Formats: sequence, C-alpha cells, structure tokens
Amino acid sequence: MASTTGQLTFAIETFKRIHPVEFQRRFLSQQTRHDGRAFDEFRNTQVVKGTISTAHGSSTVRIGNTTMVCGIKAEVSEPDVSRPNEGFLTTNIDLSPMCSASYRPGAPSEEAQVCSEHLFRLFSGCVDLAALCIEKGQAVWALAADVVCLKSDGNIMDAAIIALLAALEDVQLPQASLDSVTGVVSADKTMAKRLQLQRRLFPASFSLVDDAYLVADADDAEERLATGSLLVVLDGNGKLANVWKRGSFIGRDAIARCVEEAQARRNAVAKALK
Amino acid sequence: MATNAMDRRRINGPQRTVEPIYSKDTDPFASGRKDSRSLDQVRPIYMKTGPLSTQANDLSASSAAAASGSAFYEQGNIRVSCAVYGPRQGRKSNTRMGSFDCDFRYAPFSCSWKKRSHVRGADEKEISLMLEHAIAPAIRLDAYPKACIDAFVTVIESDGKSATIAAAINCISAALVDAGIEMYDSVAACSMGLWESQWVADCSQAEENVSSSTMIIAYMPSADEVTYMLQHGKTSPDQTDQAVQTCINMCTRVYAVLCRGLQASISE
Repeated sequence: MASTTGQLTFAIETFKRIHPVEFQRRFLSQQTRHDGRAFDEFRNTQVVKGTISTAHGSSTVRIGNTTMVCGIKAEVSEPDVSRPNEGFLTTNIDLSPMCSASYRPGAPSEEAQVCSEHLFRLFSGCVDLAALCIEKGQAVWALAADVVCLKSDGNIMDAAIIALLAALEDVQLPQASLDSVTGVVSADKTMAKRLQLQRRLFPASFSLVDDAYLVADADDAEERLATGSLLVVLDGNGKLANVWKRGSFIGRDAIARCVEEAQARRNAVAKALK
Repeated sequence: MATNAMDRRRINGPQRTVEPIYSKDTDPFASGRKDSRSLDQVRPIYMKTGPLSTQANDLSASSAAAASGSAFYEQGNIRVSCAVYGPRQGRKSNTRMGSFDCDFRYAPFSCSWKKRSHVRGADEKEISLMLEHAIAPAIRLDAYPKACIDAFVTVIESDGKSATIAAAINCISAALVDAGIEMYDSVAACSMGLWESQWVADCSQAEENVSSSTMIIAYMPSADEVTYMLQHGKTSPDQTDQAVQTCINMCTRVYAVLCRGLQASISE
C-alpha cells in the first residue's frame, strides 16, 4: 500500500521483502527482470563431469545459483524374470533442507517425489538396458542415479536433467564376469567401458509469472510468484521428447515460441556438456 | 531396520543388490603414504563460506529461502556442504538456553563401498549427535533463549570415516561463523589412525581400513579446551596420551587454515 501511494520510501531490500509481487511487477512491466535478464534469457550454465571419485559416474551442474550434484553407483543384481537380459536404472532426487528453507527434513516431499518420477520416465529410454547385462538371467548392472540439490534457486528440473545426463555420460562400467561355479561376480576397474546413451535430453523451463509474463529459467523469487510452468525437453536431434505444462493458461503460440527458444537453449546446453 | 521394505516415496531398483568383487587394492602403506604425505600431515583444505547463503546487499539473489550461513569444505577427496539456519524460533518455548541441532547425511553415492540407502541409517543419527556434542559447547547458547540453531550437513564425497566426521565439524564451524552466531571460539577437528604402533594423521579410507584404532578430537584453540574426543579400537594408555597431544597440535594447524579462510571471506 505504502509503495503505491508513494508517501513512504523504503530501501530497495525492504521493498523486495515486504512486497515481493509488486517488486517483481515493476521490473516485468518494463520488459526486464529483477536480475537484469531478458525474458527469454537463461542463466549461465556450467557442467563439470567426473567430480566424485566414489561414484561410477558423476557431475556437478550450476544454473546461476542453483547447484546440483549427480552421482551414479553401479551394483550387481539379479535381473527381472520377465526381462532376463536387462539391467536397471533408478533415478531419485534429494531436496534436503540444506538447499533451501522451503524443504523439510525427513521423507521426500511431494515435489521431490514428482521430480523423481518425471526424471525416471524421461530417462527410461536413454540407456540401453540390455547393455547392462553381465550374464543373461543371472546378473545385471543396477545403476542408481541420485541427484542431490546443494542449492536451490529456481529451475531445479532443468538442473536435475542436465546433471543426470552428464553423469550418465560419465559412467564407466568395470569389466565384469560371473563365475558360474561360485556365482560370484568379479569386476576389474582397470578395464572400464563407457556407457553409450541412446539419446540425449536437453531441457528448457519457462514460468508464467503473475499470470502475465512468460519468463525463461525463473529463479526462486520468480518461481514463488509463478502461476504456471512449462518444461520442454528436446532430444539430440531437436525433436520434442517431453512437454510438461502445469498451472495457469499458456497460449498455443506462446508454447510454440517456448519450443523455439528451447532449440536455442539446446545448443547452449550441448556446448556446456561438451 | 528392514532393508527390504519397499519405499513407495522413491523410485526403487531391484530389492537386493551387491557390490561385485573388485580386484584387491594394494597395501596403502606399501611405500610411504599413497599421496606422499608425511605421517602427521593433514590433506590440503579448501574452504568457502556463504555458497548457500546470500549476502544482505546482494539484491540479485533471491533471499527468502536462503540459509543464514553456509560453508563448503574440502579436505583431499572429502567434500562436505553445510547450511545453518537460525537463530530461529525454537520448538520448545520457555527455554533459557537456545538449542543447537544437527542433521548429518551421507549422499547415497558418497561412500566408496556399497551405495547408501536413502533411509537414514543409525550411523548417520550417531554422527549427527557427535557433531552436536562437538559444536554446542562453543556456541553461546545462553545468548539465544527460546531459539534454535539448525545445521544441515551433507557429505558429497567421503574418504575415511573419522576424517569425514572431522571435516563435518570444521565445515559447521565455518558455517556458524558465516551465520554470525555468537561463539566462544571456532571448533577445529582432526582425526588419526593407529597403524603398526604409529599414529597417522587424517587417514584416507584405504588407510583407515588397515588401522587398528582411530581417534577424533574437536578442540577450541583460543580457549584451549577439548569439546569432543572419541577413540575406537585398541591402544595403550600411553599411545592414547600421545594421540591426544598430536591431535591437538594438528587441530591448531587446521584452525589456522580455517581462520585464514574466514578472513579471506570477509575481505572479499
């Protein structure tokens, strides 16, 4: 109220805290954003592969302040009876209270469960599960991919997908063999083989802020005011792999524009992934 | 805890997985230490305060959900990240003293052996409590009545269990300073392992596997007070005495590194 009458003046930090909606509106109505980005501009994205020596494949991804670490552990298990020559890939995301005050300790929140499930479905076509077979019907690799959020500042889904893709590309599976007499699987780390992916995924997220402004790669402050969101995932050839729209109304032409912007984003992410 | 219980809140893999048998590692002390450290040398430390918390004058960062203080700490291969929230409203009212709670987690991929379960293990609970006991004496809890201070620690990569606990203590100390919590002194911690009647500082996992005893000490150098001490395994009283002395000396050295890091973060 005070801010609209112009009677009182605040320090800008105070204004941001007590009236976040109005604070963001002032920027958005001027076709800019509070951190100076254009509406279609993504934050700087960095990817480092092979950051964790205790995992078989790992990566660290930063999109602006959002930081994700993904580690993949490979272990041996018996295959499913109905799919005797297929291994396993499980994907989970951990949103702990460390990365943001909005998350509570304990069992995964609904948001984390939804993200895990979505990641799992997205990536289920990426790895050739038959390549994870050690001995048909007896032993296969089970890859457990865990994405840990170190700092959450908006757009965790993009960061998680890029981190998971980078970690999968970094996986080196040791040469393994099953001793048919003892039933023991032995592995040689010096003879490791890189995992071949069937397709790569490139995400781009957009948020509908204040029901009016569609912005790319929203940060935490913008996401809090978002009434809708759109996740576009493209594969390596630029084909649509997944579109996930949630919340408020987004026009058809706006969605088409987002898909176009996702194409440009794909090149940027591919460059960061090298 | 039943390990085969289905966890419906997560994506589950096969019920039972095992690690393959890897070709044997060589003796870690075969020709001196693998990373050519001397026996009383701590691995190189890198520390950064404030990666998860935002500075008050940084407008571009969204601050609503940011931690009050945070630190990222590396010691050789060990990587620990910590966020401190508080002082904030405590769960119990009418307490004269504030409370300090700690939540310690290993990331599932952080250990060199089998993947850790998502469900919090008893050892993580135990370490959380150890960290509370090691740090709480350094905090001026009487200055925060009715309040609580929470520290969330995640190990991203571990290399030596005792060394990881010591690293977590150092990391929390730095994060508490970053949060501006009133303290008597920063706590610096260090660990050692006993290998063939010699104390070896800051053991890696391979070294810890062959050591017969381990020792962790948390120490406040300016106050000259030990806040926590834990010794596992077989030693003679003389050896323990010697270990305490050496550990304290090393803690003082670690403390100097911590202070330099903290000073650098202020002058930035």
